[in-house]
Amino acid sequence: MKLVLDVNGRNHEIETAPDRTLADVLRNELGLIGVRVSCAEGECGSCTIHADGKPVTSCLMLAAQARGKKLLTVEGLGEIEKLHPIQQAFIDEQGFQCAFCTPGFMMSAKAFLEECPNPTEEETAIAMSGNICRCGAYPYIVKAVMKAAEQLRQEK
Amino acid sequence: MGVMERKFSVVGKGVPVKDAKEKVTGSMKYAVDFTVQGMVHGKILRSPHPHARIREIDTSKAEALPGVYAVLTHKDVPQNDWEAAWFNRRGKVLDGVVRFVGDDVAAVAAKTEEIAERALSLIKIDYEILPHVFDMEEAMKPEAPQIRVEGNRRDPYVVAWGDTSEGKDQADVVAECDVLYESQQYAPLGRNACIAEWNGGKVTVWTSSQTPSELRDGIHEALDIPLSKIRVMAMPCGSSFGQWWSVNFMLITVCLARKAGRPVKIELDNEECMVTVKRRHIERTRGRMGCTKGGELTFAEFDHIIDNGGYGFKDDVGFFCVDMWGKARHGSYVVHGVNTNLLTAGCMRGVGDCTLGASVERVADMLAEKVGLDPVEFRLKNQIRAGDELRMQHSRSTMKQTMEEYAASIPDELKESWPKLFHLSSGDTHELLRQGSAKFDWKNRFKGWGKPHTIKGSLRRAVGVGTGAHVCGVEFEGATSAIVRINPDGSVKVHCSVGRQGQGSETTQSQVAAEALGVSFDMVEIETGDTDSCPWSHGSLASNTMYRVGWATRAAAMDARRQLLEVACREFFDSCEPSELDIEEGVIFRKGISRSNVRPTISQVLNTFRSDTLGQTSSITGRPAVPMPPATTFARHFAAHFAEVEVDIESGEIKIIDYLATQDSGTVVNPQVLKNQAIGGAICGAGFAIYEHLVFDPETGAIKNGNLLDYKLLRAADFPSKAEVLFVESYDPVGPFGARGAGEAPIAAAVSAISQAVYNAIGVRVDIPMTPERVIRALNHF
Repeated sequence: MKLVLDVNGRNHEIETAPDRTLADVLRNELGLIGVRVSCAEGECGSCTIHADGKPVTSCLMLAAQARGKKLLTVEGLGEIEKLHPIQQAFIDEQGFQCAFCTPGFMMSAKAFLEECPNPTEEETAIAMSGNICRCGAYPYIVKAVMKAAEQLRQEK
Repeated sequence: MGVMERKFSVVGKGVPVKDAKEKVTGSMKYAVDFTVQGMVHGKILRSPHPHARIREIDTSKAEALPGVYAVLTHKDVPQNDWEAAWFNRRGKVLDGVVRFVGDDVAAVAAKTEEIAERALSLIKIDYEILPHVFDMEEAMKPEAPQIRVEGNRRDPYVVAWGDTSEGKDQADVVAECDVLYESQQYAPLGRNACIAEWNGGKVTVWTSSQTPSELRDGIHEALDIPLSKIRVMAMPCGSSFGQWWSVNFMLITVCLARKAGRPVKIELDNEECMVTVKRRHIERTRGRMGCTKGGELTFAEFDHIIDNGGYGFKDDVGFFCVDMWGKARHGSYVVHGVNTNLLTAGCMRGVGDCTLGASVERVADMLAEKVGLDPVEFRLKNQIRAGDELRMQHSRSTMKQTMEEYAASIPDELKESWPKLFHLSSGDTHELLRQGSAKFDWKNRFKGWGKPHTIKGSLRRAVGVGTGAHVCGVEFEGATSAIVRINPDGSVKVHCSVGRQGQGSETTQSQVAAEALGVSFDMVEIETGDTDSCPWSHGSLASNTMYRVGWATRAAAMDARRQLLEVACREFFDSCEPSELDIEEGVIFRKGISRSNVRPTISQVLNTFRSDTLGQTSSITGRPAVPMPPATTFARHFAAHFAEVEVDIESGEIKIIDYLATQDSGTVVNPQVLKNQAIGGAICGAGFAIYEHLVFDPETGAIKNGNLLDYKLLRAADFPSKAEVLFVESYDPVGPFGARGAGEAPIAAAVSAISQAVYNAIGVRVDIPMTPERVIRALNHF
């Protein structure tokens, strides 16, 4: 089937089988490898992206279900030369080790901070509990999100 | 050991890791993200039986399926054993016998993964079912089904000193334990893939691995082709903890690509990562220790069994406790490695430390309670100090060379520059316990053994302390080297074989090279995974990376620096001695002369060299000029962790409320990296302590919770965000700029600290994993 996907502000026309997941299509048709797939059952949160501003696990969504939605992946969050404050904060606090989970965490963090721009550390830890970091960088992930929150508040 | 006065310019700085921007933009490539032009896809057929022999295998229908390029069975594979690092696997790539449910049977290469999967279902196999054994103690019996040609049992690994019967006579109190540890899964986030491409009899392999050199060795052993025809390009891993060393699926990819005549990629899905690769051993400790009324250990006697599963071949897991508690006057530690028809077991972070080590800490705690000593005091009294003799110094029958033979073969003049062998060179738990207990306010928060400091309804809060130690690399499988090249423009490239599983080695090795050379961090780039350019090393295992590879990187950089300064002397400094020169920020100058105009850059020196018609080279290549002293005989790294937990005696739930991780890894090369190692270790240990365990089907031995939905891992809200880290930096005489290993002591300390805190909260000891059910059961039994 033919499909038009709006990803990171651009439309992409894709020819795909109807049973393919959104994560698969983003990774393998559009080369967006920042969409990390680990558990493929919605548990680890590595493949988290935004669909119309809401965080979704793209491994559980069919590509066809994303038609007409504005999709945002980590590739659309910031660029190497112009990082998003969340990305910069993850570097500053080293909120990662292997970083396989990092794009997913940052996408969850973005959605969380849009809803809750001035969170407590505890609220942040709970909000970040939909994603798994096996390396155990959690305290530094929470610090990174808190730092990004402050930065984003200042930018407003 | 005192802390040496020192001033470093790059070492000790928390510079962001080299790949930080790739990591946060999602552009970092793991093996799953890698493709090769013209590649096809491979899938592996898995055994449905715990133990069986293939009588007949019919692949004709699979081969006939359109889109299939090759079907690989044991008949296509050279029948040579290959060995993963440190006895984590020994066996053939495929040999027509399956030894656990999920074991590799055959493989297909096809145009797409879907076709490959369909082809797998068309392979017909007639199995002869063989008797199986899952219980490791059953497997030890002579009448048990034998899983390997070598038999199920490895020779016992024994460390003994003195006479334990004398130690028992001297003991006023004795405590003992019998603990069974279930198996922790690496539970990797991220998957792994392997891509193999043959060209003119040579093979190139791209995969995520912590041990590039050992993988090349494994391919060499399995296929019996020259090392020069094998190029491993190890890529970054997702979380690994020892899972991604050399794995049989990588060897299958290599064989399948050869048969298919085109590049093949095999990507493991998450369940395959969890049920077909390896896991932590199931382990059982029976043991006892005794001490005097004053709390001085008189003996330690432990018998420990580890289950290797189908292909593991390990016999030892004693790095931590044997030496840590080696002050006991008499000791005997015996470890038995045994094979079963369960998934292969291998070294997972802190191997033995979180099990045998946790048992020893538990018995030590019981003794401390009996003699009325605080756990910090008991550890201060009985744990090893820098300078003390180490207990692990006996022969190893499985090694080519024993430790004694190794040490005896070293020339005296070299040995004189080394630390005293079989003695702890630097660092211990004492300063960690002293500074840690002060920072944690231990004296006020510990209310006595088995006593919570707060009771609120069904909630009990208490604190606990635990300690851990591990080696800093081992040398038995080979000598570690590195190459440091200075380019004509003054930039530097390090080539050293290590893993990139998130522990920041690409960054910390670069810091070491920059410090040694006197150039800025940004001038150093590094290659860690290409075996064509990186000399052999164990890679990143056994907390080896900073100590042994770091030693090699520094030695190579110093060798490059010596060559550079020799040219500089000749060309710019009137043939002075190289020792009169120094380098800072890439500029060479004469020491002690403040206002000299002669300040050539590295690039100026090398360009002079370059235009010299008699010059042999345009760039400088440094390598270690002498062998590294044997780290196993003197180097350890240490951790002491302090935890506060809250236990709900109605639900059995355990919450970790507060945490302090202290660590002595010698000089801290990068505090950002090391604090993540310490806390990451704590969280992995906490998971093992309170949740994580694999569930095996009693009928088939198959893993029932081999996915992230059913295998529970800690989340951000399950560990205190305010957790703190404290470093003690006792300078190491051998490690690069005084640094030692780092990654494994923290997990051991965490398991013991949390276990003890739970005991103090509820007054009952709970076996690991301390799940709510087990907590309730332990409370009911009490």
